[in-house]
Amino acid sequence: MTSSYLSVALGPVRLANPIATASGTFGYGLEFADVLDLSSIGALFTKGLSLQPHEGNAPPRICETPSGMLNAIGLQNVGIETFLREKLPLLAAAGATVFANIWGDEEEEYVEIARALSGAPGLAGIELNISCPNVRKGGMLFGNSPEATASLVGKVRKATDAPLVVKLSPNAPDLVESARAARGAGADVLSLVNTFVGMAVDPETGAPRISFGTGGLSGPAIRPLAVRMVHQVHRALPDAPLWGIGGIETLSDVLEFMAVGASAVQVGTANFRDPGVSARLVRELDAWCAERSIAARDLIGRTP
Amino acid sequence: MRDIKARVTSRTDHAPGLFSLHCSAPDLAAGVRAGQFAMIGVEGRSRPFLRRAFSVADVDRHAGTVEFLVKVVGVGTACLSALVPGEEVALLAPLGNAFTASDLARGDRVAIVAGGVGVAPFPLLLRELGSRGVVADLFFGGRSAPDLAYRAKISPLVTGAEKDATDDGTAGEPGRVTDLLARTLGGGGGYRRVYACGPTPMFRSLARVLDGKGIAAEFSTEAPMGCGFGVCLACVLPKPGGGFLVSCQEGPILAPSAVDWSRCR
Repeated sequence: MTSSYLSVALGPVRLANPIATASGTFGYGLEFADVLDLSSIGALFTKGLSLQPHEGNAPPRICETPSGMLNAIGLQNVGIETFLREKLPLLAAAGATVFANIWGDEEEEYVEIARALSGAPGLAGIELNISCPNVRKGGMLFGNSPEATASLVGKVRKATDAPLVVKLSPNAPDLVESARAARGAGADVLSLVNTFVGMAVDPETGAPRISFGTGGLSGPAIRPLAVRMVHQVHRALPDAPLWGIGGIETLSDVLEFMAVGASAVQVGTANFRDPGVSARLVRELDAWCAERSIAARDLIGRTP
Repeated sequence: MRDIKARVTSRTDHAPGLFSLHCSAPDLAAGVRAGQFAMIGVEGRSRPFLRRAFSVADVDRHAGTVEFLVKVVGVGTACLSALVPGEEVALLAPLGNAFTASDLARGDRVAIVAGGVGVAPFPLLLRELGSRGVVADLFFGGRSAPDLAYRAKISPLVTGAEKDATDDGTAGEPGRVTDLLARTLGGGGGYRRVYACGPTPMFRSLARVLDGKGIAAEFSTEAPMGCGFGVCLACVLPKPGGGFLVSCQEGPILAPSAVDWSRCR
């Protein structure tokens, strides 16, 4: 939806509106075409892509928890070749603003993927996933130390001119330091947060409910934690454009994240239970802003 | 798929904790094919977080309603159990692929194997088979007699023989429904196709029973689903030789050979 009330900028990224959909909760976007217009949302983030197709973890992979869920999918994906050949052209034709979320076991894999994606027609930018808790190697390991974060982001930055988003882990020992490291190494935008490492166990057998043992907690259960983290990073790094993520389901959740410093938001787990939710939030935010004659960009960072 | 707001029109109790929910959804009733499913969500404070997957059991095209068979096993199904006529549910539907029946002709014989609440997708299939003049035998198994309480609804749709088995012998023959089928196949059977829906152990033993018999089979698989339309990638089943298929997207109706049953929990 194009409305002067809704456009926002995150560094080099210009969005028609601040409502995006989070990686891992929106497939490759095309799955949603029956229930929403992909061009109406601000942006979509693909399932985490790797150099080669990846099969993911053994089931069971998810478990419902109070106001949310645990998952350990393990980054199952089609690989960048298939994405570029079969998914991106259709997304571009549908008018979607597409960010490719990417991950690897080693720094070199991230670099190679970033190179392969650079200049791909229809791609708005790249999001580095350094925060997935559900793979044995790579993923969150890069996000757990500011040094590893800086090293990886720096190398990917050199490899691509595409707008670079870095998705941070709430499980990092010091989120502000991770954010500072990513920005210092050339990240244009920070996404926060990914899922929190959690666990659920069958009380009868004592066995973990997810085959991986632990999983990433998402959904409204994590919202106050994510709001606090966005606020904290925004206070420490007021110039860093932030994409807020964590249990967003309603317009008031969007306004809350923007108030604490997010320039845009990503709707995640809510897409599973309500596939039309992101497009509806765009309409609701539009109406809310129009009613008050206020621009969405003026809603950012109002919380002291 | 569409996200349909549907009113509950009525509820039919079959046994304690086993009931049918009828919802008004004329377009779905007109278009859904046997074997497809819906993700059902309930609004309100105490709702479970995710929707739950249910086969469309039957439709009444004249009344514009669809039927779902529900067994209360956890918070999601307990929430559905608390619904009263007039309340609204959200149906993401139709989802998944359908049973194949269009290649069958008058006089063909098929077997349907149902384990407990796995009988759910078969009223609609039986209607289609019946309209084609196909003779369908129903093999219905459960732990105990109450698990077969849906028989009152489904029996009138069965055009062939009905054979029951229960683990405790309280209805039909004592033992497993797959053993019943194995004995029938031993005597010939002459089935063009076997359709099955039930728990994983039933699929595992049925796949063994059918192995090498040269009978086409379609299993309505079930794996815990988060979304129902291929996005969350929770409902995966192991493939022979490695890797996974996504039950909601590539199924739920699958050939037994598509799944490595020995690696299913």
